Amino acid sequence: MTLFSDEEKDILQEVMNIAFGNATADLAEVIDIFVVLTVPQIQVMKISELPTYFEKNIHGFERIWKLDQEFWGDFSGSGFLIFPEQIGKSLVELFGTGDLDPTENNPFDSLEKEILLEVGNILVGACVGKIAELLDTRVTYSPPIASQGECSNFARLVENYDSDQTAIIMKTVFEFENHNISGLLFFITSQDSIEWLKKSLYDYLESFDE
Amino acid sequence: MIKKILIVDDSPIARKIMKTCLPKDRGYEISEATNGQEGIDKYLSVKPDLTFMDLTMPKLDGYKATEEIKKIDKNAMIVAATADIQPKSLERIMALGAFTVLKKPPRKSSLEEILDKVEKQLTEK
Amino acid sequence: MIFSQIFDMVNVGIVILDKDYNVFKWNRWLEARSKIPSEKIIGKSIFEFFPELNKSWFHRSFKTVMSFGNFSFFSQKLHSYFFPFKASNALDSKFEYMQQSCTMGPIRDKNNAIEYVYIMVQDVTEIAAYEQKLVELNTEDGLTGIYNRRYLEKKIEEEFARHQRYARPFSVVMADIDFFKKINDTYGHQCGDFVLQEFTKTISASIRKVDIFARYGGEEFCLLLPETPGKAAELVAENLRDIVEKSSYRYGDTDIRFTVSLGISELSDGVESAKELLTRADMALYKAKKSGRNKVVLH
Repeated sequence: MTLFSDEEKDILQEVMNIAFGNATADLAEVIDIFVVLTVPQIQVMKISELPTYFEKNIHGFERIWKLDQEFWGDFSGSGFLIFPEQIGKSLVELFGTGDLDPTENNPFDSLEKEILLEVGNILVGACVGKIAELLDTRVTYSPPIASQGECSNFARLVENYDSDQTAIIMKTVFEFENHNISGLLFFITSQDSIEWLKKSLYDYLESFDE
Repeated sequence: MIKKILIVDDSPIARKIMKTCLPKDRGYEISEATNGQEGIDKYLSVKPDLTFMDLTMPKLDGYKATEEIKKIDKNAMIVAATADIQPKSLERIMALGAFTVLKKPPRKSSLEEILDKVEKQLTEK
Repeated sequence: MIFSQIFDMVNVGIVILDKDYNVFKWNRWLEARSKIPSEKIIGKSIFEFFPELNKSWFHRSFKTVMSFGNFSFFSQKLHSYFFPFKASNALDSKFEYMQQSCTMGPIRDKNNAIEYVYIMVQDVTEIAAYEQKLVELNTEDGLTGIYNRRYLEKKIEEEFARHQRYARPFSVVMADIDFFKKINDTYGHQCGDFVLQEFTKTISASIRKVDIFARYGGEEFCLLLPETPGKAAELVAENLRDIVEKSSYRYGDTDIRFTVSLGISELSDGVESAKELLTRADMALYKAKKSGRNKVVLH
């Protein structure tokens, strides 16, 4: 894919490195949990190639929790959070205890979903927020949507996208250390933001010379 | 006095940004390395007064490279450059012998502050 | 001008907080529901008026919005409400307070820095009430108003999994009204229904809020006791047996008395499934019946 020059790819990679690194540090402070985010892997591909890409990248999970959240602005697209279903329970232990009582007001399963939504919202918001901050723009978000089920039919993940469009995929593995919770975080950047992105990558580089 | 600076980072852009942010009027001699192993080799051949070390790199990461360099030269002046500045990460790299940490992305002002700090430390010795 | 008018016209509550949780704006919708005029609350900490918001989840969301500029969504399902306003249009639901769905997000200045955080409040009481009605229809036993068998079977799976995961004690009690057929035959089926209703009232009044009491079928009932080991469940069951034995119910001009047999099982190493736990309680109940009724047997 020659959509991006080598230099543009390098800048993009570095912006993501910094964004995800900053996000990690801020997450640790804000939610008081040590989070590890791996260096993001960036790929550019057609939407139609995505189902195969997901299939290759998500393996060993039988049933999954899937969360997606759209974001809009100059920089627009979707964030996807995917992890094995059984991890939902540990997330509730990690986040849900404290003020919220699973036995009183809420059945356990709906609590699990709500906690997932909150965690997903924070992870997606942290990463996208930092990218937007570095590239000097702002984004708005739709509420995240969580669903669970068999780990198959990845075509459904991207059925709302035009299959001819090009997407930038960023993949990172996140882990809540000491809690044995890890999952995959993908970002799909919409084609509309690619022109804007190219320009702001160079603006970003130039900003250091001020 | 800082004369020779080594920048160890796998990202060409990160190295470029770092060079852009360093003051141009001080006549620094700058060398670059693209991973931890190359960083150690360059350290031995160049003998820099100050090394900026990225932490996440392929082959050998910044933590191990810092540890190795400190083993060879306990006076090595290494500043870790990282975007992830949560206390746990900082603790780890400081324990391995880094002098201080530079938060990425660097800014001219934040870099200047660190250069002054390093300069002060070097003259005190 | 236009926007400040809209701010006061919209059918949602909007409050804007500064970074220290002080109220910066408070719209008319909120004034009307809270009975707190904006001039009284502006400049003051929101916690001064709503101390129940001073919780870790609220701070966590506020901090993420402040540092990342993301939005936080608070569903009615998890939080019920942010602000305790009396419910006004709640049909005949059990909601004392207005059910709310809330959103929190950033407000930026010219330099893109986050200066304020807004919270938007939507009244979803009516929707929540309909949902509650549906849930009730689906989970309640029509005659007695306690949980039905479908709900019990779902619940026992959940509770079993939860207690097993955390290695917590958990007991199940199966109860059967003694000689129920005789009551039916002697006084008629309507009296039988009356007995079932009175029996459930008696038991419901004597158990904890966290216990789950369901009609399993006919005159058979099941009681789930979370966080309760078998020995303690035995005391609970013995107490229930005693209460029923000493109670007398007036039906028309006759006093009706009856007794109940109870069988108990507890979650222990050998128990592999919720189903097995039920079977064991059933076996204990069978023993209680066999050994003369009006008894409690622990498996």
